Amino acid sequence: MKKFSLINHKKFDFVLLGLLVALIAVGFVAIFTASTTVISDQVITASHWWKQIIFAGIAGLAIALLLRLPMPIFDILILPAFVLNLLALILVLFTPAVSGSHRWFSIGNVNFQPSESAKLLTILMVARYISKENLSEYRQILYGFGIMIVPVILIMIEPDFGTTLVFWASLMAMFIAAEVPLFFILLMVSPVISLVASLHWLGIIVWIAILIFLLMRARLSWVAITVACIINTFIALITPVFWMGLKDYQQNRILTFLDPTRDPLGAGYQIIQSKIAIGSGSLTGKGWLMGTQKNMNFLPEHHTDFIFSVIGEEFGFVGSIFIVLLFFAFFARLIHSVIQLKVRERKVATAGIMAYLMFQTFINIGMNIGLVPATGIPLPFISYGGSNLLINTISVAVILKYLNERGFIK
Amino acid sequence: MNKTSRVFLISCAILSGILIIALFRLQVIKGGHYKRVAESNFVRIRRLTATRGEIYDQKYRPIVQNIPSHNLYLTSGKIQNIPALARFLSLHFDITVQEVTEMVLKQRFRTYEEILVVDNVPFEKMLSVSEHLNYFPELTFRIGSTRDYLHPNHFTGYVGRINEREYERYEEEDYSINSYIGKTGLERYYEVLLRGKDGREVVQVDAQGRSLGLFQEGGYIEPLNGLSLVLTIDNELQDFASRAFPAGIKGTVVVSDVSSGGILAYVSKPEYDPNLFMQRITPEIWNDLNSEDKPLMDRVIHATYPPGSVFKPITAGLGLQKQIINRHTRLSSCIGGFQVGNRFFRCWDHSGHGTSNVIEALMESCDVFFYDLSLKLRLEDFKAYVLASHLGTKTGIDLPNERQGFFPDAAWYRKTFGRNVGIIGHKVNLSIGQGEVLTTPLQMNAYYAAIANNGTWIQPHLLKQTVGRARLTRQQVERIQIKQLPFSQSDLKVIQDGLYAVCNGAKGTARSVQVPKAETFGKTGSAENFMGKKTHAWFCGYIVTDKPEIAVTVFMENAGGGSAMAAPVARQIFDFYMGNIEDIKRPAVLPPQFRSAEELTQDRSETLQQDIDSEPEPEPMQDSNEEVQSD
Repeated sequence: MKKFSLINHKKFDFVLLGLLVALIAVGFVAIFTASTTVISDQVITASHWWKQIIFAGIAGLAIALLLRLPMPIFDILILPAFVLNLLALILVLFTPAVSGSHRWFSIGNVNFQPSESAKLLTILMVARYISKENLSEYRQILYGFGIMIVPVILIMIEPDFGTTLVFWASLMAMFIAAEVPLFFILLMVSPVISLVASLHWLGIIVWIAILIFLLMRARLSWVAITVACIINTFIALITPVFWMGLKDYQQNRILTFLDPTRDPLGAGYQIIQSKIAIGSGSLTGKGWLMGTQKNMNFLPEHHTDFIFSVIGEEFGFVGSIFIVLLFFAFFARLIHSVIQLKVRERKVATAGIMAYLMFQTFINIGMNIGLVPATGIPLPFISYGGSNLLINTISVAVILKYLNERGFIK
Repeated sequence: MNKTSRVFLISCAILSGILIIALFRLQVIKGGHYKRVAESNFVRIRRLTATRGEIYDQKYRPIVQNIPSHNLYLTSGKIQNIPALARFLSLHFDITVQEVTEMVLKQRFRTYEEILVVDNVPFEKMLSVSEHLNYFPELTFRIGSTRDYLHPNHFTGYVGRINEREYERYEEEDYSINSYIGKTGLERYYEVLLRGKDGREVVQVDAQGRSLGLFQEGGYIEPLNGLSLVLTIDNELQDFASRAFPAGIKGTVVVSDVSSGGILAYVSKPEYDPNLFMQRITPEIWNDLNSEDKPLMDRVIHATYPPGSVFKPITAGLGLQKQIINRHTRLSSCIGGFQVGNRFFRCWDHSGHGTSNVIEALMESCDVFFYDLSLKLRLEDFKAYVLASHLGTKTGIDLPNERQGFFPDAAWYRKTFGRNVGIIGHKVNLSIGQGEVLTTPLQMNAYYAAIANNGTWIQPHLLKQTVGRARLTRQQVERIQIKQLPFSQSDLKVIQDGLYAVCNGAKGTARSVQVPKAETFGKTGSAENFMGKKTHAWFCGYIVTDKPEIAVTVFMENAGGGSAMAAPVARQIFDFYMGNIEDIKRPAVLPPQFRSAEELTQDRSETLQQDIDSEPEPEPMQDSNEEVQSD
């Protein structure tokens, strides 16, 4: 039975693995229909479908290899891998631009995106450093930001603002898991919320009220509360003024910076199409392979960023809810893993990974529904794309490994 | 721990809840609405074709315009029954079933985009076919535009639908597969200026493809219309030159303005009608266009010919520059020919001219003078001088594929005829523009214009300026090359005097070319050639009033003697020019359609101001009792 020594039957989380496989399988189904065009009686399928199967196969292999890797070696490899990734991030800036950004290395047919692997490696690095014994919260925050700032800046230069946000969300989750007091988190997050709340005057008032209430609950001094409120109110008020003061083309620049893949026709042509596709799926959808909007290729990216709209169109409300609930179950299981892990570093890392997967999922589905402006974030495990699938799967594999190793440490 | 996980779980649940609610709203509550939108309305990105620039002559009279056309489009995503469609198309439009299937296959990854099936459908046919379109929702007629070539000529060229090779080559330039692209002539040379840039709009269309208006949240990128070209051509002079050229003869007429280098008339015969290319070309028409006479060939710049005697000023100029001869030098006597080694080179006049100086030799076109001169010239000097006179090299006119002509050097002779070739005999021929030397009619015209222009050679060009979105002069679009011919002032005067004698001297070969109120200068040529028995007829010349006006080159393939055939045509053109000189030289007023809004309002306000100044002052109005509403 030495063969199966990589799996500790009592500790290995089969449920998590099962959910992962379920998600990837859903991906196969979705990509198949997304790659298929039906013209009267002719059915033509493009190559994306079986390519995704190959990617999944490679990912499966990666899981097995990772589980096999002895834990101490894994621990040692993190730092050099992180440094190498930073170098890759620097080098990629010198590659020729593809649609205005420098994100990819292209070697023959293979594309590698260093910002993808940077997500996982940065999380692992940050997790290690903020989990050390007896660190004050300030030190934790400092280390966390300090380590993260380097890859984030490099990625922002590419430019790729969407991925930057993902890092940020992970960091917050890791702070929470590292037991940094919640009000610290709140203070860090508040400027961003103020920015968003500034969209509506009512939002500003409600938000400031909530802020005061939460800070009071955290028993901060009145001085601190007042300072925080002043800063946040200022941000909330100044943002609309600042935005209006910008000329059209300047506004455009910022919006394009936030998302380089932004529809040049403005106001999200892609989102319109996505909503029509999903909405027209109604309760039960149009049936597999029968999606008319998908068929007519109104959405150029429907096997990648907008794969959810294909599911929505062909399987209706029933199908959409199924996907959302499947993801919810997956995340719930990941939260469960966070609780199960006792080693601080691993708990924190798991929280970080979970956060970034959650962030991508909700942003992507939100974008498909029209709640969120178009960004270039794909749907984990379901969107077509080797880099993304591989890194996401390896991230989950890391968590599986952690779970597998429970009890082997003092 | 539990607190942490509670935070995460709650956020996850809230986010999932938001998604579920939004999906409910989208799919269940509004499901019916979106179903209707999806089924009967399509949202699509429509390309807004930019209007192609038009082409005008220097007085803003149209030469090439856009006219509306009816084009039949196919949306492959809506095809219900491919065989029925194929039958319908083959019945009405002569399109084979195979062509239809190919079209559909090519578009299979862009099934919502429309494919152009037939363009420029005649109006009646469009009406009769439209009746059947109810059965074919995938077919639509759209109004597009096509080109109307009002004055067929060889310089505008024509447009055609872009082919696959061009589409790939110009991938960066945002052509659609149905775009027009300039194929030849000015349409091709100035393609970038004429084309403009297509825009985009997001429209909601019904199943017939009819627009239901802009999607409220959609966007709009304005098309940038192409620039229109205003040429240096004068339509009336161009028409006259074309009519003055005798029928049945192949050749060219080039008329240029000496002081600017602009081309006033550009004729190549035989002519063809570019409008033929705007529709499907039948095999018969294609055969006609490719007949032996080669009507498609632009003989002004795409064909090279031996210049014959019109080349003599170059030989003379070199002799003067090297100070081998001067104005008075008399060389060997012409006895109807000249002995060189063991060969007797004939003069065209077998009775002989006796001794001549250079002016007389030009006047009577005595070959022997030049034969003798050539013996005293070195071939390398000759070649260098030819290039310095901007012959044997492209003029750089704004048309594609100009030929550059040819003048040999010693190395070429050695390669072609072997190492021991005797150069002398070849030089003798070259001196009178025969042998291996080849020029285009345009090059010769530019050279003579330079002689008229005090030795300043100006690059011939057709574009004067652009109008439309931007007004650019030709100089701003592309710098006009200017250089000095290798003449000293006194040597130039000698040549000019020789050319004057040709048209005004008692024995001048073109003494019939005279025009009232102007002095004529010129040179005839009758070039022996391999194309036929008769010589090519040449005349190159210019007229001067108080300053040089125009330079004219008339060239006729195998038509006979230059003075008998080409010179009279040139004279008619000079006559026409002088007869209409005021009209031709009057500066053209920019028509209102090209003026910008500010200019028009400025004009109007000036006229308005004049009206106001001449009116009596009105009485002041009573205060009204109306309240002024505030918003």
